[in-house]
Amino acid sequence: MEELLKINRRNFIRTGGIAAAATAFSLSSLDALAAGDVVKLTILHTNDVHSRIEPFPMDGSRNQGLGGTARRSALIKQIRAKEQNVLLLDAGDIFQGTPYFNKYGGELEIKLMTAMGYDAATMGNHDFDNGLEGFHKQLPHANFSILCSNYDFSNTLLKGATQPYKVFKKGGLKIGVFGIGIELKGLVEGKNYGDTVFIDPVVKANEIADLLKNDLKCHLVICLSHLGYKYASGKVSDQVLAKNNKNIDLIIGGHTHTFMDQPEDVQNLSGRITSINQVGFAGINLGRVDYYFERHKGKRIKTASPYLISNNLEID
Amino acid sequence: MTFRLKRSLAALTVAASSLLLSCSSNYQLVKANRAEYAINKDVAADSAVINTYLPYKKQLDAEMNQVIGHSAVLMVKSNDFPESLLSNFFSDAVLQQALKSDPTIDFSMPSTKGGIRVDVPKGDIRLSNIFELMPFENELIAFTLKGTDVQQLLNFIATTNGQPVAGLRMKIVDKKPVDVQIKGQPFDPQKTYRVLTSDYIAGGGDNALGFKNPIEKKVIGLKVRDALINYVKDTQAAGKTINPKLDGRITKN
Repeated sequence: MEELLKINRRNFIRTGGIAAAATAFSLSSLDALAAGDVVKLTILHTNDVHSRIEPFPMDGSRNQGLGGTARRSALIKQIRAKEQNVLLLDAGDIFQGTPYFNKYGGELEIKLMTAMGYDAATMGNHDFDNGLEGFHKQLPHANFSILCSNYDFSNTLLKGATQPYKVFKKGGLKIGVFGIGIELKGLVEGKNYGDTVFIDPVVKANEIADLLKNDLKCHLVICLSHLGYKYASGKVSDQVLAKNNKNIDLIIGGHTHTFMDQPEDVQNLSGRITSINQVGFAGINLGRVDYYFERHKGKRIKTASPYLISNNLEID
Repeated sequence: MTFRLKRSLAALTVAASSLLLSCSSNYQLVKANRAEYAINKDVAADSAVINTYLPYKKQLDAEMNQVIGHSAVLMVKSNDFPESLLSNFFSDAVLQQALKSDPTIDFSMPSTKGGIRVDVPKGDIRLSNIFELMPFENELIAFTLKGTDVQQLLNFIATTNGQPVAGLRMKIVDKKPVDVQIKGQPFDPQKTYRVLTSDYIAGGGDNALGFKNPIEKKVIGLKVRDALINYVKDTQAAGKTINPKLDGRITKN
């Protein structure tokens, strides 16, 4: 399976900045890793799949032959066969982009995500393309959570159909996952989002991440974001959120269809690392982050300690 | 309400509990390893998934695989340049079809570059290609706009590095529109113009400007996608191949 990894793009350990500091601080942890007193969590993620059920057609266009749900499913199954603690997440824009959506309204997209065992997804702007009704209609096919914390659907058909966050328990770990969406005005036709109320993403993300990390005591906090990676205009983005939050460990991004050479590690307001990752669009890539947690029998050392970051997987 | 109460209680106790919190969890994050898998032909396919989508695919292919025309060139989606073969094809095709029902239209911006979704291949153009190019159900609308509102639209086009247009030429200098020509005539802010766009753009989609206070608004009765399909079919029926050119309609210094 490792031959499938984009090793050429990601085969170095980050040096410099906070990543280097992380290396220095976590030397003692390496002994613990060797001792096996460690829980490994594997996060798999997609974004902006845009109804790409089949690979792009072989017609000479730029992405010909890439992607496809059947391949993604097989890959996910292989990874699940090896790893005990897997979370499969999507950062929105499940809908729109191939005639599968025009004809079947997203039914197949949601059914296949359920078949692949997705744990949660957030809503992108294109998930509103058939209106709130169009999204609501497909929810019976979803056996995974739709997480939206900064869209208030109280006065809409979607009231109660989504959750702001969900806490997953894997191998003794608690993982808090929440969703953050982009401003719909100017992006989605008014009739398609109706009385949905948009709430400031940075304010809401901080509120939810604080709740997850400090009140609900999650070991890891993940934000599924459809804000977009970054904008020249300074408009709120994953980079802006990463710099201006205190408790998010990982932002799985979308919207801008960004193929990142490697995840970006940002120092957040509490001096810790918020990583941003996004894997292009259309299911051309599957992202993976493995987190290793050291188990302490007694008192915990310190929550704020940096950790070792590498853009290589450890293949057993 | 309960949520708020809970949060304020948490805020009151946060200072006192910070020590306790650090003891409450017995796992510490020590390492993260990241990677990305390319989903390509080297990945085996899950036959269960194929079996799930096959009935949908068969029905869809019967409709969507029909060849409706031919292109002499590959037209690549790009946000990097003020004009592209794809944006010129898109905007010219839509304007030509709309002019059939409303010959008074002066120029068009049927979409933003972001609204043009995928490449169009060289060779056979299938119905599916046009659905993927323009998946949205947007309707064409012709607006009569005051020159000052057209100026807003021109400014939008310039500040966003050019957009797909037809019947309009301009230079972008310092993010401003310069030497603007509409239907071959210099732009006059005192005049009114007939401008073709989609209901999405007109509603402020992609933050486009200029359509809020039209003098008149006329629904063409044609979806953007259907205009594209009709154009490709018309070209084919005339025995021609689609072959867009870059003509410098928008240049940037």
